[in-house]
Amino acid sequence: MSVLCVQDLSVQFHDRHAKGETVRGVTFTVEPGEIVGIVGESGSGKSTAMQAILGLLPERAEIRCRKLILEQEDITPPCNTKSGRQEQKAYEKRMEKIRGKHISMVFQDPLTYLNPTVKIGRQITEVIRVHNRTCSRNKAKERALELLDMVGIRQPARRLTQYPFELSGGMRQRVAIAIALACQPKLLIADEPTTALDVTVQGQILQLLKRISKETGTSVLFVSHDLGVIASICSRVIVMQNGKIIEEGTTEEIFWEPRQKYTKELIDKASHLQEPSDKEEYREPLLSVEHASKQYLVKSRWNLKGDKSAVEDVSFHIYKGETFGLVGESGCGKTTLAGMITGMHQLTGGGIQFKGKPLVQMDRQIQMVFQDPYASLNPRMTIQETLEEPLLINTKLSLEERNQKIGELLEMVGLSLKDGGKYPRAFSGGQRQRIGIARALILEPELIVCDEPVSALDISTQEQILEILEQIQRERQISTLFISHDLSVVKRISHRMGVMYGGRMVEVGNTRSIYEDPWHPYTKTLLSAILTPDPRIARKRRGMWKVEELRGELASDTGCPFAPRCGYAMECCHTQRLETYSFEEREIACFLYSKEYTGRRSHDYKMSSQI
Amino acid sequence: MQGYIGKRIGMSILSLFMLVTVAFFLTRMMPGSPFQNGNVSEDILRSMEREYGLDKPVTEQYQTYLKNLLHGNLGVSFKKPEVTVTEVIARTWPITASLGGLAILTAAFFGTVFGIWQASSKRLIVKGGIFLGTMLGTGIPNFVVGLLLMLFFGVRLKLFPIAGLTSPQSYILPVISLAVYPSAVIARLVQNTFRVEMERDYVTMARAKGIGFRQTALTHILKNAWIPVLNYIGPAAAFLLTGSFVVESIFTIPGLGREFVNSIGNRDYTMILGLTVFMGITVIVINLFTDLLSAWLDPRIRRSLR
Repeated sequence: MSVLCVQDLSVQFHDRHAKGETVRGVTFTVEPGEIVGIVGESGSGKSTAMQAILGLLPERAEIRCRKLILEQEDITPPCNTKSGRQEQKAYEKRMEKIRGKHISMVFQDPLTYLNPTVKIGRQITEVIRVHNRTCSRNKAKERALELLDMVGIRQPARRLTQYPFELSGGMRQRVAIAIALACQPKLLIADEPTTALDVTVQGQILQLLKRISKETGTSVLFVSHDLGVIASICSRVIVMQNGKIIEEGTTEEIFWEPRQKYTKELIDKASHLQEPSDKEEYREPLLSVEHASKQYLVKSRWNLKGDKSAVEDVSFHIYKGETFGLVGESGCGKTTLAGMITGMHQLTGGGIQFKGKPLVQMDRQIQMVFQDPYASLNPRMTIQETLEEPLLINTKLSLEERNQKIGELLEMVGLSLKDGGKYPRAFSGGQRQRIGIARALILEPELIVCDEPVSALDISTQEQILEILEQIQRERQISTLFISHDLSVVKRISHRMGVMYGGRMVEVGNTRSIYEDPWHPYTKTLLSAILTPDPRIARKRRGMWKVEELRGELASDTGCPFAPRCGYAMECCHTQRLETYSFEEREIACFLYSKEYTGRRSHDYKMSSQI
Repeated sequence: MQGYIGKRIGMSILSLFMLVTVAFFLTRMMPGSPFQNGNVSEDILRSMEREYGLDKPVTEQYQTYLKNLLHGNLGVSFKKPEVTVTEVIARTWPITASLGGLAILTAAFFGTVFGIWQASSKRLIVKGGIFLGTMLGTGIPNFVVGLLLMLFFGVRLKLFPIAGLTSPQSYILPVISLAVYPSAVIARLVQNTFRVEMERDYVTMARAKGIGFRQTALTHILKNAWIPVLNYIGPAAAFLLTGSFVVESIFTIPGLGREFVNSIGNRDYTMILGLTVFMGITVIVINLFTDLLSAWLDPRIRRSLR
């Protein structure tokens, strides 16, 4: 007896921007207690199909479905072009009883899916009480505490009275899962539940979902574009392309013996990202950051009191023509550091040298590519105008020269000159990011700072953008500071990399050697959280994920910021001032590599990983 | 939070002081004298001005006024020496405030109801009807509404009294004519914000939880949709609570607005100043109140105040 049985589900949007059907004749079943993965690029209709099952799509969507059965219950949506208003209303009434009780859903971004002005407690108890009218307020509250405890939130009683913005991303997603599990549903639909989270948090959430599915026997439909995630959690995989299911099978079958060309391509691309880049060395520093710090003033109730370090004592170099990758979880100071290098933030300590001269203000030789290609282009300016603006301000080129330059750059990033007259809304995310790159390159900079340039894009678009960046680098010898929370992307593109934690640079070195042999305990944690798109490796994973999520509980000011989470922490880690130790190309900020710990070293001592 | 309220009150006192200063010097700059009249001789005028201290330098008058103000003494009316300004306020403000208060409550209620109705209805006739209504409501000035209401309900149908404030029924027409404009504006604002909020992800989430539309609207959307509306309600309430001259005149209501306009015509210095200070206090208190209300509605604002 399968939990869910979908037969011939199609969705079509009646819309100006509609491009035919988005879901075409999808048929699949979900058995009790299993975790089924649905994989596909964005636009492949996977989320639309899920929302159609729950009846969450807006009215302009036309849903046709032969049969939709949840256990014994028939929840086939009426075909809304033929059915009258009455039938539609009756369906909505019936679904209100199903949603949240028998099928529930976890969405991608818990920040926008939780109501910002309603307390966590209310958002959980509400769903309990709406499906069980006889449940009293206190009973519901007890159940909410139990649920929060189940999803691994400490101090649940306090959390109930807090608002979503007071919790960290991982905790918010745990709350969303608690809400979804409140009425013990038979089926949980998880729509990209970890895409908006940091890698280490992603691991925890995946483990949580797996554990819950095992303990409660809930079936899970897990939608993701990330093959690593799918490989590590699902027992069966459905591959979707252009609204159709093109392949279906157990995880092993799909990953090891894909029958379809598209599946093969997807897996190859994902594995390709795992390959470290091997690149020649450059030895001429273009940018040196020396002991740079940035402190923000923290306002207290009565006066300006104390300061909070966003970036503390960070030093590294970027050589001419190389790509330097910078990784770390959100809030670790990566973006602040980028702001300091581009001159948008003032330093509060240390200095930055660019081409041998101290960097005091914005330099047009340093340009930036932003994370969100939708928000960083002015929607009221054509691409031509956007690209022309920096030329008009900074150069004295004539109209013809400007146009020639714009055409040249657009061609370089794979667009054509006639695209120049269009507005940003005419382009897809990947194309907009190309425009963002063209804008950064138009003043012929020597360094571009890319702040998460591909994290908003699909996996195949990511690949294209990375290729463009590499090609530009080859042709123009431009140095790049590449910031990302996605370790695979950094591994793929950078020559050398730095790992940041809590405002400190904890490890700097050659990308390949760091990936093969991480020295710092935090780097090790990060790397072990990468999900390989290979079910065998992905499932063997254990340990390391157990790292507690500790936000809010701040580490002591003087010691190592990672000490409270570190399994190797010694007493000195909490009390002594952290120093950075250099061993050939590797720089590491960890007491495990101090003289006191490793003992006296001879001149030609070769350091190796201490953990 | 207390720190914030304290700071706000401090700022309010400062702006009140500015208001008094500007108003004081502006009234003194008005041409003519409060006692000027066709049949008053030069001598008598002089002696009356001396009596009221108007012959002294303006700065000295200003100091005296501030000193009295600190003691809560707003002075006596120049035109009717038998009443003090405080007495006038005590007599007229309860009338104006009850009218204005009722009007703003009516407006908030009907504006929200119609706004939500327009935003959530699928029927074209409802949407179009409310849209037309709000257009007319914002377009027609309140005295025209007042006159039309008087003509129709008072004179033709004889349902409600058309002048004075003698019975509860006599409140109805003036309150409606005061409330029409703000309700139309609130309906349009609510309609707009509600529609935006309905598109938000948390509404999808609420639907996915199996919560019906009515409950979603009340517990989730309304709170978020109301925050921008408060920005309008504050000034509108301040305006209504300090009296509308036109509506008070049409319905012959002895309110604050009418008193204020008359005092300007009479060059009744103390009266103008006294009423200005009083209205200033009202506006400041209402603004503080709406700010606190929005902090109560939105925890993020509350946090930023901390």
